[in-house]
Amino acid sequence: MSLIYLDNAATTPLDPEVRQAMAPWLDADFGNPSSRHPLGVRAAEALDAARQEVARALGAQNGRVVFTSGGTESNNLAVLGLARAAHRHGNHLVIGEGEHPSVRDAALALVDEGFELDEVAPTAAAFSAALRPSTVLASCMLVNNETGVIAPVEAIASAVHGAAPRARFHVDAVQGLGKFELSLRALGADSLSISGHKVHGPKGTGALALADGVTPVPLVFGGGQEEGLRSGTENVAGLVGLGRAAKLADERQSESHRHMSSLWEPLRAALAPLAGVRILADETGSPTTPSIATLVLPAGPPSEVVMHHLEERGVMTSAGSACHSRNDAVSPALGAHGLSAEEALRVLRISFSCSTTAAEVQTGVEALVAVHRTLEAKVR
Amino acid sequence: MSTPDPPTPAGAPDAILAPYGELWLKGRNRGEFEQALIRNLRTAVKEISPVKVERGPGQILVFPERRAMEVADRMGSVFGLSALYPAWGVEPRADAIAEKAREVTARALQAFPPEGQISFRLRAKRADKSFPMISTELEQHVAESVLPDWGDRLRVNLTSADLTVGIHVRRDRAWIHAGRLDAAGGLPVGTLGHVMCLLSGGIDSPVAAWMAMKRGCDVSYVSFHSYPYLGDATRRKIARIAGGLSRWQPRTVLHVVPFTKVQEAIRDGAPEPYRTVLYRRMMQRIACRLGERVQAGGIVTGESLGQVASQTLENIGCIEEASSLPVLRPLLGFDKEETIRIARRIGTYELSILPEPDCCTVFQPTRPVIRGTVARCHEAEANLDVEALVEEAVLGTEISGQV
Repeated sequence: MSLIYLDNAATTPLDPEVRQAMAPWLDADFGNPSSRHPLGVRAAEALDAARQEVARALGAQNGRVVFTSGGTESNNLAVLGLARAAHRHGNHLVIGEGEHPSVRDAALALVDEGFELDEVAPTAAAFSAALRPSTVLASCMLVNNETGVIAPVEAIASAVHGAAPRARFHVDAVQGLGKFELSLRALGADSLSISGHKVHGPKGTGALALADGVTPVPLVFGGGQEEGLRSGTENVAGLVGLGRAAKLADERQSESHRHMSSLWEPLRAALAPLAGVRILADETGSPTTPSIATLVLPAGPPSEVVMHHLEERGVMTSAGSACHSRNDAVSPALGAHGLSAEEALRVLRISFSCSTTAAEVQTGVEALVAVHRTLEAKVR
Repeated sequence: MSTPDPPTPAGAPDAILAPYGELWLKGRNRGEFEQALIRNLRTAVKEISPVKVERGPGQILVFPERRAMEVADRMGSVFGLSALYPAWGVEPRADAIAEKAREVTARALQAFPPEGQISFRLRAKRADKSFPMISTELEQHVAESVLPDWGDRLRVNLTSADLTVGIHVRRDRAWIHAGRLDAAGGLPVGTLGHVMCLLSGGIDSPVAAWMAMKRGCDVSYVSFHSYPYLGDATRRKIARIAGGLSRWQPRTVLHVVPFTKVQEAIRDGAPEPYRTVLYRRMMQRIACRLGERVQAGGIVTGESLGQVASQTLENIGCIEEASSLPVLRPLLGFDKEETIRIARRIGTYELSILPEPDCCTVFQPTRPVIRGTVARCHEAEANLDVEALVEEAVLGTEISGQV
C-alpha cells in the first residue's frame, strides 16, 4: 500500500537536497560555531550563510534573523519578548482570534504578568477598534493552520502602526512560507516567524525575523549566541537545513502556489459524489491558501473515525476536532467561521505541499468518498 | 577509643533491611513466597543496580552494588515488604556498634531543623543470641556513647520518638539504621496466581490491576481496540498505562484484541440499548479465552457499583454471566475520589487523563439499558455467531511482552 500524504500543514517530508546540505554538519564538520579554531569558524560561516538564505526568503535583509527551535519558540520569543521589552510603555496586547496556541497561550501567560489582552477578528477594522495608546504588541497569523484563511496582514499592520506607533506587530507566517511571497518590510511587520519542517526542512528548527531596531527580551539565557537573543550552542546541521529549505521554498514559491492551486480541480472533481460536503474556502468570503482544504463532511461519522479509516488505506489527513473531548468547545478558528460543535466534529483537513500530485489528491479523495459512504451506511 | 571520622553526608547505606509483611505468617508456603519476593525484587531493581540478597528470619537484607538509595526507593514498590531501613554494617562488637551508631545518629540528625530538642530512642534486637549482651544492655551501652555528643539536643523517649536508631545484631555483622522508608505492603506478585485485567484508557482499570497485584496476583492486561474507529494513539496510551504499572509488577504483558468486528456485529444485529452490556459480555469471553494460556484464575475489572448509569447490579450480573472465570472487582465499593487518590499515588492518573478517545461514539447506544436481564442477552446473542467472533478476536490478538 503506497502512502498518500495529505497532511502537509502538520509537517512535510525532508527534501533530499536539504538532507544533503545538512549531512557534512552531522559528520566531519562538527565544530561549535563559538570556537575560534577553523572547525568552529567553518560552522559559524555555515550559520552566516544559512541566516542569509532565511533573511532573503523572508525579505528581512535589512533586519536580523534569530534562529530558534521552531515556530513555537519563534512565536513565544516575539510575543513574550517584545511585550516584556515594551512593558514600561504600556500593558495592552491585541491578537487575532484563532491564533496558534504558541501565540495565544504566550499572550495569556502575559496576562498573568499584568498585561491586558484583547482577542479580535483578524481584520484591520477589528484591530483598529481594539488598539489603545497603551498597546505594545499586536499579533496576527498570516495563514490560519485550521481554516487556511489568509488574514489582511498589511492592512492590520497599517492600522497598528497608525493608531499605536509604539506597538510592535508580529506576524506568525509558519503556514505562509513557500506558498506566498514573504517580506517583513512589505507586510509591515516588526517580526515574522517561520518553521523549518513545514517547508521540507528538519524538525527542531525555526527563525524569527526582526525589523531593524526591534529587539525582544530573550527567553533563553546563557552564552550569548544569536546576539544574545537566543543562547545555546546552535543546531548547526539543522539550521543549515533550515536555510536551504527556506531558500528552496522561496525560490519555488510562485510555482508551488500555482501547483497547489491546480490540485483543487481534481479535489473538487473527486469530492463531487459526496453530497452535502462543504469546503470552508468557498464559504469564508476571505482569501485562502491553496495548501489547505478544510472540509466539513456531511452528517454521519465524526471526522476522526473517517481519518482512521483513511489511514488504513494509506491516506493521511487530519481531523479538525477529536470526538472525545469532554468540553464541547469548538476551536476558536473554526468557531470564528460559525461552525457549531457538532459541525466541528466533522471537519477534515487535507493539506498539500509542492510535491503533492494530482493523482494522489484524486486517489486520496476518492478513498475519502468511499470510506464516508461505507461508514454512513454503518452508522445509521 | 579514637574519635570516629565525621560521617560523610552523602554516605550511602551498605544495605537495605526489609522486614516481610504478612508473608511471615504464611507458614508452610513461606519458602515459596520468599523466593517469589526475592525474584520480584531483583527484577524491580535490575536496571538500577545488581544486588546481593540475604535471607534472614522475617526479613531480607539487600546489598546494592551502587545507587543504594535509589534501590531502596524502588524497593518501595515491591509488594510483600512491610518497611525499608537503609542500614550501615559493622562488626558485631559492642564498641564498634556504639561507634557506628554515633556516626549514623549524626548523619540522621542532619535531616532535622538545626534548633530545638529531638526525641530519641534506641532499639536493639539480637538475631544472634550468643551476643554477650542482652538487648537492653546493648541499648544502654550504645546510648552512653551517643548521647554525650548531643547534650540537650536529644531527649530520650522510649514510647514515641522523632528519631529511632535501630540496631540489628546478626552473627556475621551488626546493622544500624536511623530511618524508615515506606514499603508497599501486600503479598509478592505471582504468589496468588494469575489474573487477566481488562485495561482501558480510563482511571479505574489500572487501579483495579494494582489492587490485584498488591494481593499477590500476577496480572496480564487485555485491551480492546476498535481500529480504525480509534487510532493508534489510543493503543499507545493504553500501552503507556501498562508501562506505568510496571513499577509495581515489572512483567508487563498486554493483549490488544481487535474488537471492531465484534462491535460492528453487535451494533448491526442486537437491540441498541443492550449494546454496552453485550460488548462487555464479549470482552469477558475473550479475556477468559486469552487467560487459558496462562491458566488465569480470574478476570479483574475496574467496575464499581453505580458509577455510571449502566453499572447496575443487574448489568454487572449480565456481564459476569458470560465469564467462565471468577470476576474480581477490587474497586466495587470505591467512590471516584478514592480511586483517583490511588491512581495518583501509583502513578497512573497522569497517563489515564491524557486526552485520547477510549471508545468510539458511533458504537455507543443513545439509551443504554439500566436493568438488563440475562435472558434478553441470550436472546440477542442468538442472532450473533458468538463463538466465531470470539475465535477471530482471540486469533487476531497481538501480545506484547513476555507471556
